[in-house]
Amino acid sequence: MGEVIVVTSGKGGVGKTTTTANIGTGLASLGKKVVLVDTDIGLRNLDVVMGLENRIVYDLVDVADGNCRLKQALIKDKRFDDRLFLLPAAQTKDKNAISEQQMIDLCNTLNEEFDYTIIDCPAGIEQGFKNAIAGAQKSLVVTTPEVSAVRDADRIIGLLEAADLPDPRLIINRLRPAMVKQGDMMDIDDMIDILAVSLLGVVPEDEKIVVSTNRGEPAVLDEMSLAGEAYRNISRRLTGEEVPLMNLDVNDGLMGRLRKLFGFSK
Amino acid sequence: MTDKTFASEKEEDGIQRKEQGRPPVDEIQTILIKKTMRSGQSIRYQGNVVVMGDVNPGAEIIAGGNIVVMGFLRGVAHAGASGTEDKIVTAFRLRPTQLRIANHITRAPDEQSEAYPEYPELARIKNGVVVIERYVPGDKPKI
Repeated sequence: MGEVIVVTSGKGGVGKTTTTANIGTGLASLGKKVVLVDTDIGLRNLDVVMGLENRIVYDLVDVADGNCRLKQALIKDKRFDDRLFLLPAAQTKDKNAISEQQMIDLCNTLNEEFDYTIIDCPAGIEQGFKNAIAGAQKSLVVTTPEVSAVRDADRIIGLLEAADLPDPRLIINRLRPAMVKQGDMMDIDDMIDILAVSLLGVVPEDEKIVVSTNRGEPAVLDEMSLAGEAYRNISRRLTGEEVPLMNLDVNDGLMGRLRKLFGFSK
Repeated sequence: MTDKTFASEKEEDGIQRKEQGRPPVDEIQTILIKKTMRSGQSIRYQGNVVVMGDVNPGAEIIAGGNIVVMGFLRGVAHAGASGTEDKIVTAFRLRPTQLRIANHITRAPDEQSEAYPEYPELARIKNGVVVIERYVPGDKPKI
């Protein structure tokens, strides 16, 4: 018996799929047995981000409709022995192709076999969202430090609470500490003030994410990636370990360091 | 104390109430919400609405009576929604995206964002316009 966690946000493009791929990979790196489920039927991306798109034969809808056995649809990530699997979404259907009850049954089955079942939720609040949360026990809300993203995150938290998924945990993604310092970007405290949920982690903006998602190599596997390190920490926190938040203070470069040396810095 | 303490009281009782040293009572029904209201949540009620929590942007309260928010009011509040102009909106921190009383609609001035006061405020209609004042307990005349 494990945990079924849904990764949601409301707003599109804030990093749900990237987060799902990275914490799934991170947990597998820590020795856990993990399955990732892509519920974004019609607009599937998790397979691409995991680098597994060429190996899809059956998908979530095939399993729900009984066209294949679950084992046939699960794709094993060869980087992790028998610890990391993907259940991809269907691409040629849409979000009405599966029902909430089918999702509940599927999640119960997966939960018996895996330590963590992580569900990548589509953007929005309609049937796709309802399907994704149907079988979940816990939720993660991903947002970026932007007013519109926070607005949508607040809406989604309200819907999660109404659906008996209380205490969602927050991931703030694509933070730019320099902009926060200049007052051009929302800071962490402002966001927690409005959203009033506990913070699971903060992931800084990192160009390496673009490379990693294009190549299908999650950033957690990259020692040099700051975002990867943040996701490694988040994975550890999910297992119950206490990990302090990364220090994201800006490195000011040579001029900044000289300024600090001569006492001209704030 | 007898059972009569909580019974519904009529106008004649108002005089009795004064004589017994009890304060005047406004008979409109009031509901209490004990949570922060999130974006997309909406309350419509013909009486007063009291919220023990914040009202986040995207949330709305539409009340026939008065609105009291014991927290940050950042959403939309409409008091006196049935048209009565003597209703008020008050909050620990009054920062609504839009505020309405009866048929009047107002919003914060555009340059506002840095300069929000750090004390409770009250909005009401005075001389035909919506005014925002510092909240003062009781019904003392406002300047």
